[in-house]
Amino acid sequence: MTWLNLHPLTFLVFAPTVLGFLLMALPHALGKLARLLGFLGALAIFVLSLAWLLGHAPAAGGTVMAERTPWFTLVGLPVDYALAVDGLNLWLVLLTTFLVPLTMLGTWNSLKDRMGTFAALFLLLETGMLGALVAQDLFVFYLFWEAMLIPMYFMIGVWGGDERRYAANKFFLYTLSGSLLWLVALLYLANKAGGFNPAVMAQAASALPFGVQGWLFIAFAVAFAIKVPLFPLHTWLPDAHVQAPTAGSVILAGVLLKLGGYGFIRFAIPMFPQAAMHYAKPIALLSVIAIVYGALVAMVQRDIKKLVAYSSVSHMGFVMLGLASMTVIGTQGAMLQMLNHGISTGALFLLVGMLYDRAHTRMIADFGGVAVKMPIFTTFFMIVTLSSIGLPLTNGFVGEFWILNGTFLSGFPWGRFYACLATSGVVLGAVYMLWMFMRVFWGPENKDEDSGTHHLHSDLNAREIAVMLPIVVLIVWMGVHPKTFVAASETPVAALLQEVKAPAPRTFVLTPAVHEASEAHEAVGAAGAHAPEAPAAHEVHP
Amino acid sequence: MSLTPSQWAALLPLLIPAFGACLVTLMSIDKDQATTKWIRGAMYGTALLAVGASFWYLTDLWRTGSQPTFFQLHMDRLAQFTGIFVAVAAALTILQSWDHFHQEGWVKGETLALLLFAVVGMVLFASTTHFVVLFLGLELFSLPLYALVGTVRARSESAEGGMKYFLTGAVASSCFLMGGVLIYGLSGTFDLAAAASILTVQGLALDPLVLVGAALMLLGFLFKVSAVPFHQWTPDAYEASPHPIAGFMSVATKGVAFIALLRVFPGSFGSLGPVGAKMQAVLAVLAVATLVLGNLTALVQSNVKRMLAYSSISHAGYLMLGFVAGTPAAYTGVLFYLVIYLAMNMGAFGLLTAFGLVGEQTTFEDLRGLGWKRPAMGFSAAVFMLSLAGIPPLGGFYGKYMIFRELVGTGHVGLAILGVIASLVSAYYYLRFLVALFLQAPSAEAERLASDRPAVRAPLAGAAVLVSAAIVLAGGFIQYALADGFAKRAITEGLGLLR
Repeated sequence: MTWLNLHPLTFLVFAPTVLGFLLMALPHALGKLARLLGFLGALAIFVLSLAWLLGHAPAAGGTVMAERTPWFTLVGLPVDYALAVDGLNLWLVLLTTFLVPLTMLGTWNSLKDRMGTFAALFLLLETGMLGALVAQDLFVFYLFWEAMLIPMYFMIGVWGGDERRYAANKFFLYTLSGSLLWLVALLYLANKAGGFNPAVMAQAASALPFGVQGWLFIAFAVAFAIKVPLFPLHTWLPDAHVQAPTAGSVILAGVLLKLGGYGFIRFAIPMFPQAAMHYAKPIALLSVIAIVYGALVAMVQRDIKKLVAYSSVSHMGFVMLGLASMTVIGTQGAMLQMLNHGISTGALFLLVGMLYDRAHTRMIADFGGVAVKMPIFTTFFMIVTLSSIGLPLTNGFVGEFWILNGTFLSGFPWGRFYACLATSGVVLGAVYMLWMFMRVFWGPENKDEDSGTHHLHSDLNAREIAVMLPIVVLIVWMGVHPKTFVAASETPVAALLQEVKAPAPRTFVLTPAVHEASEAHEAVGAAGAHAPEAPAAHEVHP
Repeated sequence: MSLTPSQWAALLPLLIPAFGACLVTLMSIDKDQATTKWIRGAMYGTALLAVGASFWYLTDLWRTGSQPTFFQLHMDRLAQFTGIFVAVAAALTILQSWDHFHQEGWVKGETLALLLFAVVGMVLFASTTHFVVLFLGLELFSLPLYALVGTVRARSESAEGGMKYFLTGAVASSCFLMGGVLIYGLSGTFDLAAAASILTVQGLALDPLVLVGAALMLLGFLFKVSAVPFHQWTPDAYEASPHPIAGFMSVATKGVAFIALLRVFPGSFGSLGPVGAKMQAVLAVLAVATLVLGNLTALVQSNVKRMLAYSSISHAGYLMLGFVAGTPAAYTGVLFYLVIYLAMNMGAFGLLTAFGLVGEQTTFEDLRGLGWKRPAMGFSAAVFMLSLAGIPPLGGFYGKYMIFRELVGTGHVGLAILGVIASLVSAYYYLRFLVALFLQAPSAEAERLASDRPAVRAPLAGAAVLVSAAIVLAGGFIQYALADGFAKRAITEGLGLLR
């Protein structure tokens, strides 16, 4: 037990892999046993993570658990095996360990073949996600970040829909393209810093000319923005989501996208504070576009799953807007919104999966009057829908409110204007979700022989209800008492933003008076005045 | 005449495989060789024993360190590295050959003898700086390989590929010879290190003839590593040759050519600074061309062997980038890359044998669904392909990492960006392999044909594949041991100049 006491995080991260490889080695015929073992293993990991991470009182700096030991030195660059759970990643880690067993249970009967391999890949993916979340050394982070692609690739490609091969390749290559260019930036900075320790690298970065910092930040930002995904780098997402099996979609939306936002707050923003301040406006603009555009595109979808996928683009736009606001409340809102989106959208994908398993169609037009046939299902769907819209007292409301609040009060000249624009996304969110809900669940029962409604014979069973109940509890809990989930990150976020704003950003040295004036100007200015790229790019390389 | 232990040490790595080759040749005189199983077994056993003995001897020698030079043979750490490298490649090739030639119905002792002679030539090639010995080594491994490419005479394409390889190879060899002769003519010595210092003293370092000589020698090496524009033979030769031989050529020829290049250009010609700089510039341009052309052409191949051929061309590009960076760490990266590349490529070609694909049945179509039928092979295939694409945490990633890191460190950021874009492109065609194995069900036609045929049994090829996969995984998880303990020591204790 001494080993376990010294390396609890290593155990949490790698136990799924060990189990995964064992499951892979099981013969094909024992697929059902493998599925059960995989679920029990993931559940054990969740229970352990709850007990360990919430049981430990955090240290002074907010660190709950940490491990650091020199790993190897290759071509003169030392790599530390450094893992830690602190305020920034605590709840994301728990979200991951929570969603994995839940998703396994929720999609228990969705797969007909190769269940063992699927469970094994799922566990490998859990290792990748947890490793990336807790890594405190950029090389280790990069390893986990890339390794995550492999199981997800196979999950989409083998068990996905008709276009699965295209979607899997697109997902893989799209993500890889961002991270390979990021690797070059990483190597460049590691050369200057003599290692991959983020703090040392940040110091090395601050000594570089601003233009170089800008490019490095862009390389980091693009890699993370692809994962988020931030408009216009989101085009892989609808394909991947729609083609992936339900479990893949849930985990993709629930955790993988979060890693993009997490990458910003953990690495990109603190390592390049000046560049982050400088590029806050273009990022915010892209976020606002993502919010509105994602919502508009979601509105016209005919496939429920695709609708949810585009709603992800919109919701993750809020996360990025909150981060770009560079305020404590906005960033805290983004942290909460990441958890919200993981819960709500994960739940939506699970529900859509349950519907699909029964009806074998996801087209909105094929349904109608589902509420008559599946009242329990409809109830759960309603709750999750309202949470996704951001109804007060559900989780969605708190996150979005904080983000909009933070953006409005950010002090950036564009803040108020963008906050107003983003608010329209909340309205549009209600429109597409409720309109879809109305067409699918209300109205007269669709009696057509070929329709989806016709094939619905059973409401949710005990297993499915057991999956949905914890989600509903969380939705309400996070909506009523969000402090549980953001208390841990408050201190680190405040400290981080203080650091970011400390070195007197070169481009935003505005006196309050100028501030007010420019805000007034912006508020009345037409949208056309906000072409973000041109002036920003100009300033980076003078 | 009695030899001291260190003199034996210089000779034995050459003598052991040569002796084995002679024995196998004698055994294959029996005209019943194709029908009598025990003779076949004995031939393969002898060949494996010879390779195993030289592997065992070299690893033992590695523990004692570099040996003094004897008769133009530098049995230093770099040569020992090469010997071990080639022995492993040959052992994997022999294992795969047993299954492959039985599938083809063409089991001959001569292939083994030729393979062993090629091993001798390769070790010779990489352990000398004397031009004549260098050329001797080059021809000693090239000629058996020309024959090996066309060894399955029953297939006419095989002879075509062999002839093509021979003709182009002969031209490259004569260019190499011409280059050496020019250097000799100006310096008066065949020892390249001595020639370099004489030329420097005489102030002839930038004499046009020296440059032409050096460039022609470089051409000889670049032909062997199949760098653009000397790559045209590669796809045809690989497609024509038996799978294990194609694997051996892609790995061992490229490997020893790079190691010999290391010994000659940064090594012996190190004192000829300006020439080295010029050659580096040439390498940079050709590396870019190799990466672009190799990767883009590989995208559109429908035959797996041709895809692997173009992939091997593009890998030559990454390795050349290591020479462009030109630091000891970059050369360490090159050697590390070669070790992993050995395992990845021998494994990838071994898969074709393990799946029982013979003759022309090596398209992506023929691979469909096989990953699920043979899970262990499928898993290895995933390891090889993802590693070839450079996805962490596998060995191939660390090879690229070390080279790119040095490129960035020496200010070649643009080349590093090009390199990562190239590996992004390459990921697509490596994924195609996995798409066929796992993501596509076999066509009904293929299913019907497969049920008619007896089940494929290729235990030795399968074992070779698993060993290769283990090496790739080791390269990903204990990379520092392999890089520091093996590759780095070969560089620092082999090439004294780089200490």
